[in-house]
Amino acid sequence: MTAAESDAIRVIEAEAIPARFARGWHCLGPAEKFSDGRPHTVNAFGQKLVVFRGANGNLNVLDAYCRHMGGDLSQGTVKGDEIACPFHDWRWGGDGRCKKIPYSRRVPLRARTAAWPTLLQDELLFVWNDPEGNPPPADVTIPRIEGVTSDEWTDWLWTETVVHTNCREVIDNVVDMAHFFYIHHSFPTYFKNIFEGHTATQIMKGKTRPDIARPDAEGNTMLGNTSVATYHGPAFMVDELTYHYQGFDLESVLINSHYPIDEHSFSLHSGIIVRRSEQLKGPAAEVTARKLSGFIQRGFEQDIAVWRTKTRIDNPLLCEEDGPVYQLRRWYEQFYTDAAEVTPEMTGRFEYEIDTTRPVEAWTRETEENLARRAAEGQPA
Amino acid sequence: MTVRQDDRLTDGMPMRPVRCRRCDGLVLARKSSWEQTSIQWTEEAMAACPSLADDRHATCPALLSAIREAVLNGELKIVDA
Ligand code: FES
Ligand SMILES: [Fe+2]
Repeated sequence: MTAAESDAIRVIEAEAIPARFARGWHCLGPAEKFSDGRPHTVNAFGQKLVVFRGANGNLNVLDAYCRHMGGDLSQGTVKGDEIACPFHDWRWGGDGRCKKIPYSRRVPLRARTAAWPTLLQDELLFVWNDPEGNPPPADVTIPRIEGVTSDEWTDWLWTETVVHTNCREVIDNVVDMAHFFYIHHSFPTYFKNIFEGHTATQIMKGKTRPDIARPDAEGNTMLGNTSVATYHGPAFMVDELTYHYQGFDLESVLINSHYPIDEHSFSLHSGIIVRRSEQLKGPAAEVTARKLSGFIQRGFEQDIAVWRTKTRIDNPLLCEEDGPVYQLRRWYEQFYTDAAEVTPEMTGRFEYEIDTTRPVEAWTRETEENLARRAAEGQPA
Repeated sequence: MTVRQDDRLTDGMPMRPVRCRRCDGLVLARKSSWEQTSIQWTEEAMAACPSLADDRHATCPALLSAIREAVLNGELKIVDA
């Protein structure tokens, strides 16, 4: 780089947002929500979908617009295994085929609508989106979450929020160590990313900020946490999140998932289960799960507050203590590329461990200054 | 979206080839400090590495020492040095 180049004003670049939605499994939330025998409207992938459970117990996802005259199937009625359109009662099966038109002798040719492959796993409903229309490859899976079906763990506590920005913003969090300090008031001390195949992992250890820490109601002080979080595909992250307390650990599994509504908005979900233990007996585990869920919700709100006013940026200017944003986006690009065009660079293993020496020094100083200022102002530390 | 280059690689230090002493796998590596390491694996290196199969979240210790050795040999420069 020449002196003139390094002196030039840095210009923020942002291409048009692709009008294409990621290939992969997307979680729509707890299956229970869709299992009441009524049709449900889900706005996803730039379209309107109908989700319904037929009498046969199958959960189905179809394009909501009836191929007859465009009626909205999500306002219709489940009749047997099919969804009946509210306009003229055409019956659509979970495979996308029109099975019956009660007032007609036969179903016409071409009576087939779009049906999304579904997966019901660990009490969650997933849909497979593929702009090329191919079924999910056998090796592209969502891992089982053991705790969900075990009595040793609490049940899902699930939240959903609509966010009005493109979903790449939430993906960027995977590599953004510094924002955990500035936005989420945590204190990362270790940070590593690994991208491989359709997975992207963030391993983070953190300590409790002395200027934020408060003992909880039971008088336990959290010392820190260890988080191993992996995206399986473009939209479903499983975070094995352990909170360390004096003398014991609190284990949780956190889901951070989303599905795009359109290119300018997405539905952001969190799910949490907590392991019961000596310290978390009986209803205390549920209380803790609720507390953690509230904590995660606040984390989302902190992100959303930033996203609300920031700009999209394709060329972030990074320092050495930032994570691998470009390599993460290269990984993420595989989901927006035809399967045959995915390059080895997008899926090849990439590891990146940040040197946290300098950040830890700076953040230690900052937290100490906060404490000193509060002490000087006569507030409790 | 097009895939863009990380400016840190073009303005500062690019990734350089390093070969593992144990499995002979060839990767691209970069160190912005003694404590910081980036590793770009190839299919071949992944197939050759015996540690990867054990723990996909860990960095292969043999490869890591090969990278450190490359720094000590002067084959790999540290950005901050
Ligand atoms: S539009 Fe659906 S049955 Fe007529
Ligand atoms: Fe965040």
